[in-house]
Amino acid sequence: MPIGSRRRRAAAAVGGNVPFEQLPYQCFQEARKVLQADREEKVRLIDVERQRIARLEAQEPFPGTPAQKQLRLQSMRKHVEYLKVQADINDPMVKKIFEDGKGDMSKPVYRHLADRKWRSYRRLLIMQRIIQMNVVPDLLPHIDPVIDLSISFRGKTAHPGDFVESTLSEEAPILKIQPFDRGERLVTIAVVDPDVPVAEEDTFKHRCHFLACNVRISPTSPMVKLADLDQESQVVHSWLPPFAQKGTPYHRLAVFVLQQPGLERVDLEVANSKAAQRDGFYLRGFATRHRLAPTGVGLFRTQWDEGTAGVMHRAGVEGADIEFKRKRIEPMPYKRKDGSRFR
Amino acid sequence: MNRLKILRSAPSTFSGLPFRPRASNALPLFRPSLQNPFPIQSQTSPFSSTACLLKRKKQRVKQDIRVRHIKFHLAHPITPRPLRFSRHRALRHWTIHRAWHTHLSQVRRARELDLERQYESMKGACEALRTLGEDGIGYTIARAPEPNEDGTVPLQKAQEGGEGLVVIGGSGKGEGGKELGRLYRLAMEKKGIWQGVPIEYARIQTDTPGREGWDHGWKR
Repeated sequence: MPIGSRRRRAAAAVGGNVPFEQLPYQCFQEARKVLQADREEKVRLIDVERQRIARLEAQEPFPGTPAQKQLRLQSMRKHVEYLKVQADINDPMVKKIFEDGKGDMSKPVYRHLADRKWRSYRRLLIMQRIIQMNVVPDLLPHIDPVIDLSISFRGKTAHPGDFVESTLSEEAPILKIQPFDRGERLVTIAVVDPDVPVAEEDTFKHRCHFLACNVRISPTSPMVKLADLDQESQVVHSWLPPFAQKGTPYHRLAVFVLQQPGLERVDLEVANSKAAQRDGFYLRGFATRHRLAPTGVGLFRTQWDEGTAGVMHRAGVEGADIEFKRKRIEPMPYKRKDGSRFR
Repeated sequence: MNRLKILRSAPSTFSGLPFRPRASNALPLFRPSLQNPFPIQSQTSPFSSTACLLKRKKQRVKQDIRVRHIKFHLAHPITPRPLRFSRHRALRHWTIHRAWHTHLSQVRRARELDLERQYESMKGACEALRTLGEDGIGYTIARAPEPNEDGTVPLQKAQEGGEGLVVIGGSGKGEGGKELGRLYRLAMEKKGIWQGVPIEYARIQTDTPGREGWDHGWKR
């Protein structure tokens, strides 16, 4: 008996050059017909919905308030986006291309798939880390990330909460800020260390290691090289290498991506005058003042290692020779127990 | 014959299992090799991922009996091979799966639409009966009130509906009177549905049981 079905043998006899869609398997071809018909139906629905939107936009007078009209238009546009995704999501080639990592992020279906993939693991991971390490209540009251943020130092990815060697983080990282919804936006990028010890006051304060505003990102151009940002129009504080003095507990370095409202630019002079100091930079106040919405978060940590002294020296930071030590807690004086209890 | 030998050589834990699939005609295409694919790993507590120090403990490592059983049956020659597809075959499989589910959802949608159509049609008929006038033609409808200058609709006016009510068609004499909606009332009668059962036991028929199974506080 020959191996494989008649169609399989026929397909094998033709050779490996048959395109995937034309493979001569009957059930597969019938399935493709069903899916194509479904796609045409979805495309028709998109057309219908677009015409409805145009009609509603042109409708004057609208029976209702302008806010109601805007709300209805918004939900109709959302429905169009949903239909666009649904039209392509059953295509095996779309699935294949996405799995190969070649998806075009300007198309809604690939953005949808990428978003789903990010939410299935990477978002859970970063949320776990920022909650475990108390980044969220310490730096900002709350965050609901909708943007995928990955940090890499000299081509090496720093996973959420990783300890990064001080020599590696001496240069500014490259961020991949991947939004999943359409359009361009302006964001503010802030790298803040909330664990700077202040021995005199016996407390910790925040320090800003990097702050840049008006960074333009879109789904198709997600890479942001922090060192290449424009000094005049974007950077408020240039990159200060993270360091942890000897004996201090590890420092958290939180990277926040905050979306600016609309396409409004942050006035750098205002930003500079109000938050000129790196030390004692508080992100809450900055975000409130400029009406920034936190949309992405990243996290890495740093601790004292062999390279830290050199890094601090090259960055012109003093204090590499200081070692922090814990205050010795005197034990309570010995108190003799009542002898009558030991009979 | 070959299969019998295999079965005989299997230990008693295996032969008594009822769920074992006994493929009658087809022998598995790929038999696992004779070597045990799952070498015994050091294991102290069940499902522990910690490696144990073999050199310190001279005795044989204990293994969970359940893990042993799973490994034995997975490695057994008559266990069917795991379902593994090549990339293209998996994609074809996925395509067919998606098409089948698309078809099911289309069928479901068509059925829903049909039910909706029937319901709406019945509702329209009842409404027509309800608004049927004495003369059998006249009926009233609520007309939307005039919009303001800025295009908004006065909500208060729309709800009152007093001046918005107009009579369309017929002689206009059909309004009011006890004959208005008589046919509707007749159609809505529930006579003979709860024969012999007090009406208090009635509950609107739904697909699922009520949230509270019995109203204990009920009194006549």
